[in-house]
Amino acid sequence: MDEYYRKITDKVSEIRITEAKDADLDRIRKERSLGLSLEELNKIVAYFKKEQRYPTDVELEALAQSWSEHCCYKTSRPILERTVLNTDTPKDLCIVSEDAAVVDFDKEHGYVVALESHNHPSALDPYGGAATGIGGILRDVVCMGGQPIALIDPIFFGPLDYPEEKLPPGTKHPKYLFRGVVSGIADYGNRVGIPTVSGLVEFDESYVGNCLVNVGCIGFMRKDKVARSIAGNVGDVYIVAGGKTGRDGIHGVTFASAELGEKSESDIPAVQLGYAIMKEPLMHACLEVNEKGLLTGMKDFGGGGLSCVSAEMAYSGGKGATVYLDKVPLKQDNMAPWEIWVSESQERMMLSVKPENAEKVLAIFDYWDVPAAIVGIVDDSKRIKAVYKGATVLDLDLEFLIKGVRYERPYTVKELKEKDIEHKMPDLSEAILKVLNSPRVGSRESVIRRYDHEVRGNTILKPMQGVIGKQSHGDAAVIKPLQDSYRGLAITCAVNPKYCKIDAYWGAMNAMDETIRNLVAVNSRPHTVADCLNYANPEKPERLGELVRACDALQEAANAFCTPFVSGNVSLYNEGALGPAAPTPTILGVGILKDVRKAVSSDLKKEGNLLYLVGETKKELAGSEYYNTMGYAGGYVPKADVKKTKEHMEQLLYAMDHGLVKSCHDLSEGGLVAAAAEMAFGGDMGLALDLAPIKDLRTDHKLFSESNGRWLIEVEPKDREKIEKALPGAKKIGRILKEKQIKIRDAATEIALPLDVLRERWETAVEKEK
Amino acid sequence: MNKACVLIIEGTNCEEEMKIALTQVGIEAEIVHLKQLTGDVPKEKARKLSDYEILMLPGGWSAGDYVRAGAIFAARIKSKLMPDVKEFVDNGYMVGGICNGFQILTELGLLPAFEGIPDQPDAALTNNQNTKFQCRPSYLRHENKCAFTEKIKPGQVLQVPVAHGEGRLTFGENDKKMLAELVENKQIVFRYCRPDGSFAKGVFPWNPNGSLSDIAGICNPEGNVLGMMPHPERVMEKIQNADWTRTSPQGSGDGRIFFESIAEYVKKR
Repeated sequence: MDEYYRKITDKVSEIRITEAKDADLDRIRKERSLGLSLEELNKIVAYFKKEQRYPTDVELEALAQSWSEHCCYKTSRPILERTVLNTDTPKDLCIVSEDAAVVDFDKEHGYVVALESHNHPSALDPYGGAATGIGGILRDVVCMGGQPIALIDPIFFGPLDYPEEKLPPGTKHPKYLFRGVVSGIADYGNRVGIPTVSGLVEFDESYVGNCLVNVGCIGFMRKDKVARSIAGNVGDVYIVAGGKTGRDGIHGVTFASAELGEKSESDIPAVQLGYAIMKEPLMHACLEVNEKGLLTGMKDFGGGGLSCVSAEMAYSGGKGATVYLDKVPLKQDNMAPWEIWVSESQERMMLSVKPENAEKVLAIFDYWDVPAAIVGIVDDSKRIKAVYKGATVLDLDLEFLIKGVRYERPYTVKELKEKDIEHKMPDLSEAILKVLNSPRVGSRESVIRRYDHEVRGNTILKPMQGVIGKQSHGDAAVIKPLQDSYRGLAITCAVNPKYCKIDAYWGAMNAMDETIRNLVAVNSRPHTVADCLNYANPEKPERLGELVRACDALQEAANAFCTPFVSGNVSLYNEGALGPAAPTPTILGVGILKDVRKAVSSDLKKEGNLLYLVGETKKELAGSEYYNTMGYAGGYVPKADVKKTKEHMEQLLYAMDHGLVKSCHDLSEGGLVAAAAEMAFGGDMGLALDLAPIKDLRTDHKLFSESNGRWLIEVEPKDREKIEKALPGAKKIGRILKEKQIKIRDAATEIALPLDVLRERWETAVEKEK
Repeated sequence: MNKACVLIIEGTNCEEEMKIALTQVGIEAEIVHLKQLTGDVPKEKARKLSDYEILMLPGGWSAGDYVRAGAIFAARIKSKLMPDVKEFVDNGYMVGGICNGFQILTELGLLPAFEGIPDQPDAALTNNQNTKFQCRPSYLRHENKCAFTEKIKPGQVLQVPVAHGEGRLTFGENDKKMLAELVENKQIVFRYCRPDGSFAKGVFPWNPNGSLSDIAGICNPEGNVLGMMPHPERVMEKIQNADWTRTSPQGSGDGRIFFESIAEYVKKR
């Protein structure tokens, strides 16, 4: 192999790929773990033939990073442009969308939205992977000039009781991954002092070989302080601030753009190391530099490291840049230039600064004890250059580097074939206890309490709601970002992988419908959404078809709800030894409350109040937790009628604004009975349900159907007429009892279960907090 | 206006809400980095502890708390600022520590400080009994008055959140003896309790960390140094208390009276 390498300066070689045969090219790309296809490598050969020279190892590595799926969205970009980036929704909300989106909040302020995945690193190193996932999303918000105010953590694992002996070699047990990820989020999020207010914990067998760790962040800022991720002025200097550059996180993006397998453990150098106590002052310093107007651009170091950040900033500014690799502060002093160029070491930010302000900027970082150094200069070459010990070791055309590849890959769409199933009605009491004890339905308290959800003091609706000591799940958290205004933000996230496995389109539709339901449940008007699309290997047409269909649904739903997609992320190649992870389009939703004092929580409030069911219940139980726990397969998957949901949403928001709704909970996993039970737990009160108003369904289907577009609301008897006028379709199906029991009646069927028995099942489903 | 110094190092992260809380009760509060008090900054940024009447140590994870919580911050104060701090305390000025701040004051020996400030700490705030970080509302019973609780009635119950992994007060093998001394000196300011004010008696979640004798906060014998694990600065308004949707959004949060007490005491001085 050495015959193609020639050393040109210290620790840099040129590689004579223009003279290599295909078989040798293939060897070179595999040996260096470039993650490039042979076709792509041939494109690079053609480029260097035109330039009449050989590429250096630094250049090859740079191209491998920039051309990875993770960095350039070569497969997903065309699909996104047709769908989620092409919605018929308000266009003027979003002020700018780069690493994160800045969206209108009020006249002076904007909120910032960012959502990402950190799947592959977390599958190898759950603690470190989850922690650095948070670190990355915080930087995305800070580099827009936003102060992070909330974190959101949707996480997905195999069943916690998965048999050890069935684990494929090289795969870690779901319980180990789950505990590691939660600890990683807690230890990093709590240390940086940003509240974790929302999240999801999902379990499905398909995540055994490839867990998913998504992370979102909401920021807040003055609109006139938006920082752009561009380097647009010739002569400006590049300043690297924050952590030093080391060998951790080498090839992170190429690793993220391939399937996981038995040998993935050997890719551990691809996982970065986080350091929260570098991040905390780094955020202060970056925001101070921005506040003082001392920078012209700012971008975080993400996938592809220095290579991507310096190239993308210059490209976005229509300029070029030269970076001096020996000026970069290093963790290890013997690093090769290509390693410095692509390392994904954490806690780093890149700033472009006018030369006359450089000293002031460096002084601010010095005050916060954050290392910072001038490492480059912006020019008008439209090329990116890297210099090491006086020698140019990289000199690439930016257009070629950044826009080099894009694919319209073939895809196939699996037709949804559904068939109703018949089964005997089981013992209902037993079925209810079983469903409440399912890890997908049970209490998340053992996760929620690990995260500080109210540091900064702005969390008005917290993730656990109700009587202290008896609290239950809420639908969304509410943040009040300003001291002198009651205007607030509601934050939630949703997706149900069970439906997505049955049908990619309806699964995605449900994710949107549930996100909207959650936001409305706390009396916020849905405002914007972000998507984290976790899918499998796009080179397999059937897998890609799932992404395409999901995007169709997301576009349709966004149109119906008038909620634009302002930010997003695509994570592909989520496949392990056991096959693909369930298609998982995680949706992060943000709603606006005109007055946080009108927020509605999920806990029952008062004995004698009435319960109304909003939305239609159908026999939609495919993928339901009832069928899952009972072992039934088949049936119809929930099909969200988003237009109908929107109609009910408007009616419900009207009723809430008029103070008619005392508590509200959306119906999702476990259906009506799970929602009713959670409301009862939080209020520490009993309730009686009479299911007669739900027509044409058997009792078990009424209780457990997971039809979309439904809420359960609590209304005072005196407001009966008003609510029936405001919500003409709502069915009165129950009332709140003093005695702590859940009673259910449907014609001749009658059951009663003590609240504390139900609570015990629900509390112990995952891990009891004690 | 009376001035408060809200002291931070890297990893302190509850300083903003602390400043807001103090400001809301009419105290001028400034967030000050330890470097500014030790002369390790340019002249225009330098501050003197004697310029302030209140020193507040807010919550967070100072320097990451990768060793014992509060140990690094305390070590830095000891090495460069201890004489100033001692003088500040001896002059009767107020020193308050919330959460990480309580851990730092304990580590410094400023609490419980039975007989002056010892070289080695008498107490520690160690891992919660269930080994887990806890973010949850807690109920506190006001046991004894100190400079920070002027306006709070004896026996009054406040709902104040906790968020910590190391909040269990212990004196190790001296638990019994030291507890008796705390009681004798009326140094126990807050105890965790049930919503009706009855003692938690170590029962989770009312006592969230297994703290000795349900202790949530203590003061020095003179009553001008207070440390507590719960976060009163997070509940200045009713809508910040966890269960406000069950009553009304109007009115003060349960932490406000704590800050009003500080304001009243410092004005009277």
